[in-house]
Amino acid sequence: MAANPALELDRICRRYGPVVAVDNVSLAVSQGEFLTLLGPSGSGKTSTLRLVGGFEKLDRGQVRVDGVRVDHLPPYQRDTATIFQSGALFPHKSVAENIAYGLRMRAMSRADIGERLRQVLDVVRLAGYEDRYPSQLSGGQKQRVALARSLAVRPAILLFDEPLSALDLSLRLQLRGEIKRLHDELGFSAIYVTHDQGEAMAMSDRVAVMNKGRVEQVDSPEAIYYQPASEFIYTFIGESCCLPVRIEATAVRDETGAAVALELGHGPGEGAWRLYVRPAQFKVGTAASQCENRLKARVAFIEFLGNVYRYHLTAGSIELFCDHLGKAGLKVGDEALVGWNKPDMTVFA
Amino acid sequence: MTSPALVEAARVEAATSRIRLMERLAPWALMAPALMIALLIFGLPTLYMARMSFNEYEYPLHYVPGFTFEHYGRLLSDPHFFAAILRTIRLSLMAAACTLVIGYCFALLAWLQPARWRLMFLALAACPLLISEISIIFGWWMFFPRNGLLSYALVSSGLVTDKISLMYTEFAAFVGLVYLTLPFCFFILLSVFDGIDRRLIDASSDLGAKPLSTFREVLLPLTMPGLAVAFSQSFIWAMGTYATPSALGPDTLWTMGFLIQEQMLSRRNWPMATAFAMVLVIAVATVMVFTRSVMAKRTSFHA
Repeated sequence: MAANPALELDRICRRYGPVVAVDNVSLAVSQGEFLTLLGPSGSGKTSTLRLVGGFEKLDRGQVRVDGVRVDHLPPYQRDTATIFQSGALFPHKSVAENIAYGLRMRAMSRADIGERLRQVLDVVRLAGYEDRYPSQLSGGQKQRVALARSLAVRPAILLFDEPLSALDLSLRLQLRGEIKRLHDELGFSAIYVTHDQGEAMAMSDRVAVMNKGRVEQVDSPEAIYYQPASEFIYTFIGESCCLPVRIEATAVRDETGAAVALELGHGPGEGAWRLYVRPAQFKVGTAASQCENRLKARVAFIEFLGNVYRYHLTAGSIELFCDHLGKAGLKVGDEALVGWNKPDMTVFA
Repeated sequence: MTSPALVEAARVEAATSRIRLMERLAPWALMAPALMIALLIFGLPTLYMARMSFNEYEYPLHYVPGFTFEHYGRLLSDPHFFAAILRTIRLSLMAAACTLVIGYCFALLAWLQPARWRLMFLALAACPLLISEISIIFGWWMFFPRNGLLSYALVSSGLVTDKISLMYTEFAAFVGLVYLTLPFCFFILLSVFDGIDRRLIDASSDLGAKPLSTFREVLLPLTMPGLAVAFSQSFIWAMGTYATPSALGPDTLWTMGFLIQEQMLSRRNWPMATAFAMVLVIAVATVMVFTRSVMAKRTSFHA
């Protein structure tokens, strides 16, 4: 018999006054899967998580944990455990007391609690910190205690509510690696809410991209990146340049109606289109003349980003930027040929 | 070693020590105005009062300059006075305890509300502060007597068969005191609740704690320091209040406030009145110092 999914969301809805925060969201997280809810702020990802945790009431739909309906239950009767953005550690309790809290609430014996405490402290590498208070811990340590506290109760599914967003970059990268390692070791099921696409890409088995309360695409990180289901996802994931053009029989025009020197070897037919290209896919200079699609543009300004030079160019009202390894020998004000091939271009009407 | 270099070094040395001195003095200079006001308006009268309490008393005069512990002795030996002190402390303790419970529930409710309801709670709590104590007493005079609001409410709800008067009872004085101290208690406790991360409630519930456990394990310990402060504030306020217990309580309810007034204005025994007042001041100061020290220990985990 196939095991039930760790979590199923069946057409769940939640409104706040006139705002539909979560709009008909259906998702399933299979056992041991790490699924990320990715979206801009206000896209409903945290609301969705809070509905799963039971901190908010559903308007419609069902939530099932391990095949059992829980949407009518309060948080303390659900087999879920949340890692909050702030950590939400009890400031008046020591690390050990924080971690033991959920176990005490489950009336576990003192000996078992001690055993479980040692296990999870080892797992998050905080052995020896039992008697510290949260105020004596760094931000990263606090989040590891929060993680340990949730892991200790062995929930059917872990709910991560942007746990790293309050930390600085290097710590964020380190902890995200650590969470990934723990997931590989322990095989827990998890929903991870973030607005950081790097986190989503690096950690997840699958990514669900949310926008305006809806799930726009659920797929592997690669598929989300290379086969985005919508213009929103294309623009949200990674950097991209948008070239809004009107293609006519005799000319290509920008939004103001002025003709631009764009030659499309392979492109859409007549009509108004938005052409998207990632900045790294553009070719500049001699390499551009080999490309199927070419645009004459003028260099507006140049940024040095460390790994690449970023050339900002304009052609009529069209603005674009392309990343070039090393200097392309262009100065501000120069006219440059920018080229790209058809597979690197995505077109939306 | 050339002498210009030495001169320069000495100059720098002098300038640095001048700056250090100014840095040491700056806090005091900044505090000076407030310190002056506190000393002039509170310090001097208290000192004067302390001195007065040691003066001697002869019948037609208010006081006779001298030095005696007689009045303090009388406070402790005269059962009539000693009982008043105990009665005041007991009434104030009861009122403070009751205020604390009501204020705590009220503040918890206000804290749990979404923002738009919260304002209503705040306005409601601020209302009694906008009315003078005397007006509030007049209000109670319409509430407690036989033909008052309370009596009508009790009769019409069928709880009692005949009209009753609670006017001039110790209960009325108690209710009056609670009403008076409640707003202060509420605002102190609300500010304490506001210092708590609401996510802690979610986290507690998330980890399997029922609401009552969450209250016992998380909310209560975190609000403990605030409870101590709110209690001492209510107690101090109740101790020092004169008008409300005198106007609502029975004639036999001789609180310290009442006795001070009586000694000062009716008996014209200023040393006795000030000795009483000194006991009150010292009691209040003790409570404040005590809560401060409790606070310092309880809040150490926030540091």
